[in-house]
Amino acid sequence: MKTIDIFGYSFSAIKLRKLRAALTTLGVVIGIAAIVALLSITQGLQATLTGQLNQGLSTNTLIVTSGSGGALGGGASGGGGGLGGGTTDNSGFKLYINYTNEIDALSSDIDSSIAVISRSGFIQTDNLNRSVTIYGVDFNQYSQIYSTTFVATSGTIPTSPTETNTVVGTRVNQPGQNGTMFFGAGDKINITWTNATVLPPVNETYTADVSGVLGKIGGFGIGGPSDTGVYIPIDKAQNFFGTDQADMIIVKLKSSDNATITNVSKAITDHFSNQVSVISATAVLSLLTSIFSILQLFLGGIAAISLLVAGIGIMNIMIVSLIERTREIGILKALGMKSRTVLTIFLGESVIIGLMGAIVGIILGWILANITARVLGSGIFGGGGGFRITPLLTPEVLVGALAFGVGVSVIFALYPAWRASKLKPVEALRYE
Amino acid sequence: MSKLVPVVEATKVTKTYMLGKVPVEALRGVNLKVESGDFVSILGPSGSGKSTMLNLIGALDKPTSGTLLIDGVDISKLNDNQLAEIRLKIGFVFQFFNLIPRLTAKDNVELSMSIANMGKAERKMHAIELLETVGLKDRVNHKPAELSGGQQQRVAIARALANNPKFLLLDEPTGNVDSKTANEVLTLIKKLNIENKVSIIIVTHDQHLAREANRTVQMFDGEITSEVVNKE
Repeated sequence: MKTIDIFGYSFSAIKLRKLRAALTTLGVVIGIAAIVALLSITQGLQATLTGQLNQGLSTNTLIVTSGSGGALGGGASGGGGGLGGGTTDNSGFKLYINYTNEIDALSSDIDSSIAVISRSGFIQTDNLNRSVTIYGVDFNQYSQIYSTTFVATSGTIPTSPTETNTVVGTRVNQPGQNGTMFFGAGDKINITWTNATVLPPVNETYTADVSGVLGKIGGFGIGGPSDTGVYIPIDKAQNFFGTDQADMIIVKLKSSDNATITNVSKAITDHFSNQVSVISATAVLSLLTSIFSILQLFLGGIAAISLLVAGIGIMNIMIVSLIERTREIGILKALGMKSRTVLTIFLGESVIIGLMGAIVGIILGWILANITARVLGSGIFGGGGGFRITPLLTPEVLVGALAFGVGVSVIFALYPAWRASKLKPVEALRYE
Repeated sequence: MSKLVPVVEATKVTKTYMLGKVPVEALRGVNLKVESGDFVSILGPSGSGKSTMLNLIGALDKPTSGTLLIDGVDISKLNDNQLAEIRLKIGFVFQFFNLIPRLTAKDNVELSMSIANMGKAERKMHAIELLETVGLKDRVNHKPAELSGGQQQRVAIARALANNPKFLLLDEPTGNVDSKTANEVLTLIKKLNIENKVSIIIVTHDQHLAREANRTVQMFDGEITSEVVNKE
C-alpha cells in the first residue's frame, strides 16, 4: 500500500471519532505549549539579561573584592544593580584604596585600576526621600572605564570635582521613569548614610550639588554605573564614610581576551594570597549562561512530563481503538494487507495526532509566552523599569518541540500498533 | 486453451485446533480440486468443518498437515507476509459483507486495490466499472449504512473482484438477504462465472443454493463425504 494511501486511511479513522481525536490531541497541545512557552520565556529572559549585562559591563574589566571564594563576591547588591555592598571577608584581610598602585604594577596587561567605596544610604530633597547606593569613585577614571554608561545626559560629570559635587543615576531623580523629575542638575540634595561603626549608630548627612544626571543604563551592571547609584568623589567618600578601605577595585585591562583575563586574575589573587575574589564580566556571563541552561533543562523537563502524560493518553486511546477495530483489522488482512501496513496505519494515526498537537501547541505556547512576558515585564520587574522580556523561539526549540510531540506520540503508539499488526485474521474476523 | 493450474488443490489436508487443552480435529484429510473457471459449492451442516475449509482456502489460516495449493503455491509453507500476498489473488466475500462502515461503496472497492498498490486514478475508474458490473452505478458514493443488505452484498462482490482474483470465495452469500435479493445475487454470481470466466467457490449450508453450482462437495465431520456434479 502506498504511503499516501496509508495516511489517507489513518486520517479517515481519526475523522470518524473527532471528539476523541481532539481530546487526545489536546494532551499533546498542552505538553508542547508548556515546553514552548517555558523555553521561549527563559531564552528571552536570558537574552534580555545578557543584553543588559553586556550594556552594564565592560568586558575588559575585572572586579576585585576582598574575601576568597564566592563567585559573585559579597553579593550583587540590590537597588537595581551594581556589585557593591558588603563583601564576605572572614580572614580579616582588608582591601585598601591605595592597593590600586600595587595592582597596577602587577601586569603590563593592566591599563589602570580604581577603587570604589560603596554604602547604602538615602538622598533627600524637599519632596523626595529615596534609598540609594552611594559610590565613591574617581570621576575621571570611572568615566574612562565606563565611557558609554557613565555619561551625563543633563549637566556634566565634573573633571576636577569639588567635595560637594555628585552625579546621580536616572532613577534617582526620576524614580518612576515617567517624566516626573524630583530634581535635576544644578539642584542640591542631602546625602545621608547610617554610620553603624559607632554605637549608637548615627545618621550622617551633607548637602551635595548635583552636577550631572546619567542616561538610562538598564537593569544590571556589575561594578559599572547603575541607574540607582549616587556617585561622589572618592576623597569625599573617604571622609564621609570614615574609611580608607575599598569595597571593590575595578581593574581595566588592555585587552579583553580570555588569556589576559585569566592571567591577570591569577596574578591579582596570587599577589593577595588568595584573599581577594576577582570577577570578570566574561565569567559572570558564562555563569549566567550555565545557570540558564540548568533552568531550561529543569523547566523543559517539567513540561516534558506533561507530554509523557499525553503519551500515555495516546496509548490508552489507541488500545481502545484497537479493540474496537479488531474486526476491521481482520477485514484488512483478509483483503491482503500485510502486518507492517497495519502497523503503519496505526502509527500514521499517532503521527497525525502528534503533528497536529505539536503545531497547535507551538502556536499556543508562543501566544502564552508573549502574554506571560507582557505580564512579567509590566509587573514583577517594576513597571517602566526598562526590563522587557521578549520571548525567543529559536529554530532549535521549534524543531525540537515538533519532533518531541510527534516522537512521543509515535513511541506510545508503538505497542498498540504492534498488537494490531499481530492480530490473526481468522480470530479478528470472528471478533464481535 | 492451454491447461491452467487448478485454483485450489487440497491433498490430505487436516486442521486441528486446540479448544482449551482439548485438540479438536476440524478437518481430517480433505482432498479437493477446483479448476479454473469452475463453480463449486461446499455444502455442510454447522460443525462439518466447512468454515475451517473456507478459512484455509481464503489463506486466512494454514493447514496442520497436508498440502493446500492456491494458484499452485503451497500455503502451508508461507509466512504471514507471503500469505497476505496470496490473499490478493482471492476474492473473499464474507457472510456479513464486512464492508468498512466509514467508507463509501467506491472507497470500499478501492481499498482492495490500494492494498494491492494500484494508483489512485486507475483504481477509481476500475471501482466505478465494478460497481456498474454489480448493478450499483447509482450507489457509488453511498456508505454501507445507506445501502440495503443486497446492495452491500454486491459491493462486497465488487470489492472481491477488484484485484482480478483467481477465484471468488463466497461465505453463505444468500444467508443474510431476502429471497428476492438472494436470487439477484445468485444471478450475478452465475453471470460472473459464465460471462467473465470467474472461478467460484461457495461455502454454504443451503442445499438449494449449493445445487446451483456445477459441482457440490458435501462435507461432514471434517471430511468430504460425497461429490455431486449438478450439471455439465
